[in-house]
Amino acid sequence: MKRLEIKNLHVSVDDKEILKGIDLVVNEGEIHALMGPNGNGKSTLLAAIMGDPKYIVTEGSIIYDNQDLLALPVNERSILGVFLGMQYPQEIPGVTNSDFLRAAMNVRSEKPISLFKFIKEIEKSIEELEMKDDLAHRFLNEGFSGGEKKRNEIVQMKMLKPSLAMLDEIDSGLDVDAIHLVAKSLELLKEETNMAMIIVSHYERFLELLKPNFTHVLIDGKIVMEGGADIFGRIDEEGYDWIYKELNIDPIKEEVKRPTSIGVCAVKEVIKESE
Amino acid sequence: MDIINKSKELNINNDEKYLVDSNEDLALIINCHHDANIFFNIKKINNMDIKCYLDKDIKVSIFYHNDSDHEINTNENYEVKENSELVISYSEFNYATTNRNSHISLNEISSRGVINSASLVNANKNYNLIVENKAKYTMGELNNYAVVLKDGRLMIDAIGKINNGAKKAESHQTSRALSFGETQKTTILPELLIDENDVKASHAMSIGRMDEDKLYYLMSRGLSFEDCTSLVSIGYLYPIFDNIKDEELKNSLKDALERKLENI
Repeated sequence: MKRLEIKNLHVSVDDKEILKGIDLVVNEGEIHALMGPNGNGKSTLLAAIMGDPKYIVTEGSIIYDNQDLLALPVNERSILGVFLGMQYPQEIPGVTNSDFLRAAMNVRSEKPISLFKFIKEIEKSIEELEMKDDLAHRFLNEGFSGGEKKRNEIVQMKMLKPSLAMLDEIDSGLDVDAIHLVAKSLELLKEETNMAMIIVSHYERFLELLKPNFTHVLIDGKIVMEGGADIFGRIDEEGYDWIYKELNIDPIKEEVKRPTSIGVCAVKEVIKESE
Repeated sequence: MDIINKSKELNINNDEKYLVDSNEDLALIINCHHDANIFFNIKKINNMDIKCYLDKDIKVSIFYHNDSDHEINTNENYEVKENSELVISYSEFNYATTNRNSHISLNEISSRGVINSASLVNANKNYNLIVENKAKYTMGELNNYAVVLKDGRLMIDAIGKINNGAKKAESHQTSRALSFGETQKTTILPELLIDENDVKASHAMSIGRMDEDKLYYLMSRGLSFEDCTSLVSIGYLYPIFDNIKDEELKNSLKDALERKLENI
């Protein structure tokens, strides 16, 4: 059984510590919802598992399928079965979806995928996600709407068939119908592969469709609460205030940076001189 | 494919394909009388001098594919008459020095001249490219795309020149170089020399490494750095083949480029 095991994970970005000791276990076939206010480390956790070089792991370990993920470069983590559906998928002009996906599928198998099989699989995914027919020939995410980019992440996921799928606010930018479409698509893929999932979402509607087994609430770089579906339902109704009160913790206050105007300083200097 | 191994004059009335393979220096005169697509596969040459003349009211596309293992030096002059269009395309994926001077003169009203280049640079490549608008309503364009590898040295002097009196003329250029090595050197000089007020002109230029976020995105799907280099290079260089009409030829050149990129 494939298992993700994170122990005491500390992660920094630009010398600022974002994750302050995360412990998390995700077994094959489980769905975990990761919730928390913005700016508290949810995306950082997923990026650190995937291996984004901007996120520096300063302490702790991430083991997946008995392998030390931190010792592997990002592409080898992907080949091992880890997938991150990104919040802001990149646009890559000049590289078509089909060239990209074929290359990504070929690095996973000893023999290159046949053109026939590839076309059959991508057409099936495009149809399932109700994408435009010309998706395969369009440049990767270039000129895509926000919703198209998110659905294209799911197309990629269906083609690559990961064993651990992490989705970072994949539902943002999707309309109600598309949310159902994506949830259905994820359900079908999970039935086929028994993949584990970690879902970051702010929307109860999406989580209700996916039916997570566990919910974790991440505040100020730590998992402060864990439980089942009841947690995301209450968060949807009441926000996070009840958690702050219950656990007696202070919310992170964003530092208000006042703009500095050289013009104003110069004026003050002149006033001082005239005094 | 006709072999060119000595200096000669070519009179073009149809599509033509030539293999340039010579131990001698060559001088070619190309007279274009009708619409045509001309393909030159350059196998071996040292110095080559080309003079090309287009009659009026025709469209000509000339594609030079440099497949030489040896240094080549070319001086090319193209003259375009009234209402004619010349598109010159250069593909270079070889590992040998190229010194190229190419000059299109748009001599008469409503003539058009375009220079496209796509280069996988792992040697010295020096291009001096000029499109000169000499008459009213002429249109000049330069499009240069290059992928510069670690031992590559690329120098492009791209000049759009509009002479006095060439009213309503247009001159546009885009040059983009993507670098993948620490030791490569890339210089692009985009120049617009304009001696007329009533014109439209533009230039765009970029030199740089691949964006780290884009690289991370591609690698997060399992591609190695080398795979990403190949994929993105294909995106930069493939469009040059859109200038070839012959599908079989186009595909064979695409395959050759892919094989080359597999080994970088």
